[in-house]
Amino acid sequence: MAKHRGRGFATIEYPTGMNQNGDPSQAWIKLKPDGRVDVFSGTVDIGQGSKTVHTQIVADTLGVPYDWVTMDNTNTDSSAVCTGTFASRGTFIGGNAVRLAAERVRERILDIASKELEIDPSDLEIADGEVLAKGSPQKKIGVADVAGAATYNYGELISGSSTALKPFADVDDATGQVEIEPHSAISYAACVADVEVDDETGEVTVLKMVQVYDVGRAINPLLVEGQIEGGAIMGLGLGLLENSYPYYPSVDHRGGEFGAYLGPAFADLPELDNVIIENPSADGPFGAKAIGEMANNAQPPAIANAIHDAVGVWVTEMPATPDRVLAALKAKAEPRRDGKRVIFDEQLSVRTVSSNGGEGYWGVEP
Amino acid sequence: MRLTVNGIESEISSPPLTPLLHVLRDELDVTSPKAGCQQGGCGTCTVLVDGEPRRSCLTPVAAVDGASITTLEGVGEPERLSPVQAAFYEKYAAQCGFCTPGMIMAATALIDRKGGPVERDEVLEALGGHYCRCTGYVKIVDAVMAASRGEVGDVQDLPVSEAGEPSVEVHGSPA
Repeated sequence: MAKHRGRGFATIEYPTGMNQNGDPSQAWIKLKPDGRVDVFSGTVDIGQGSKTVHTQIVADTLGVPYDWVTMDNTNTDSSAVCTGTFASRGTFIGGNAVRLAAERVRERILDIASKELEIDPSDLEIADGEVLAKGSPQKKIGVADVAGAATYNYGELISGSSTALKPFADVDDATGQVEIEPHSAISYAACVADVEVDDETGEVTVLKMVQVYDVGRAINPLLVEGQIEGGAIMGLGLGLLENSYPYYPSVDHRGGEFGAYLGPAFADLPELDNVIIENPSADGPFGAKAIGEMANNAQPPAIANAIHDAVGVWVTEMPATPDRVLAALKAKAEPRRDGKRVIFDEQLSVRTVSSNGGEGYWGVEP
Repeated sequence: MRLTVNGIESEISSPPLTPLLHVLRDELDVTSPKAGCQQGGCGTCTVLVDGEPRRSCLTPVAAVDGASITTLEGVGEPERLSPVQAAFYEKYAAQCGFCTPGMIMAATALIDRKGGPVERDEVLEALGGHYCRCTGYVKIVDAVMAASRGEVGDVQDLPVSEAGEPSVEVHGSPA
């Protein structure tokens, strides 16, 4: 009876947005007469930081300071449509909505600035809240003055709206063919898990997990890391603790109280190491892809692989609870099939019967 | 019954077995303690009773008659965050924020009790009964350790919610 350590890894790919598309997000942006920016979008920030990221996207697209931008997404009655913050779509699709709307606002700012400066819009750029002539930055006008001129001289409201939408991809069931690709972008990730397995109690402890996530472009690395860490611990829960009640979705067998559903707590916290890879997407805002749902997908298989590395058994149903680990260890120690003692040893069997040492033999797991 | 909540003394009219949580939220309109599991399991209702962290959902108000209660509202203000609050802000230790009131009260009590730098194991122990579904706990541990070491920026420099008006002279403005 001892504790065994093992290491396993798993890789995943994960689509951004809804499968088969068809999920719009809208945004409308207007300038106050003092150049401050009001953004109306439907994307709700549930703590993942979409409001921060969208504000960054608008500020960078327009060329104004971050704190000039106010994100108003609080009124579900009047706000622009957003299909929702799910399917890892907040940054990519919601972010594209505010980016496209901001690009239209930027064009209007340059049009008005062009009249004020008497310089062609294509020769102007916006940086730090000022419209500058390319190559001769002493010729400039503040975005605030442009907005003021639009309001009081030209009688215009500088605004722009847009919808980020990839049309629904109809799949021909007979052929599997689609007219447009059914995804917006694919993110990739890997997790390496180090575990310790107690072969007496069946308890598995995750000692360390390394997460490597390709997010296209980390618009806000701190928030990306928050998603990775939160997902990693949720993945640990899916690997070791969390179980939909038996016979789900029948509610008759669900846990009756808070403590009946085990999720990871402070005591389960392993050492975490996170690596962010930027592999830009052609279509995402500033190359961003997704980091959301995907964050908890790689850990359960990595943990299952680490358990196999530690004690040589496959736990084929998640979570790897102590009873399942003990059952797998028992099955390995006392193999039985139909109640009879049957030992399947791949290496031994193949070498015994094969004339070529097992070349060409497709291994199967018992 | 009387309670002193964040320095303000009030006469309590709720029945004596009413959980302190509901007295705070419903009678006194102090809403930072959250009604999570209401079984003592999640920790988000935690308040300080005479400086000690307590689950307000499991505490009958009569049991703390005359006590001094501190909630999140009593440890800092939007313009002047406490070190623990500032560390939570700087380290991104809150996502949805539902668990945060309890986390900050327990962390505040831990740091007050220790009076100096707290170690990782002490944070895990003191916050062990608090449940967070978003952050993965890492940044919460970082924030509490940083706050205990004074490793937070000048909390008065943190951005306040209302941006000041810009100073611009608008050409052609009627003003």
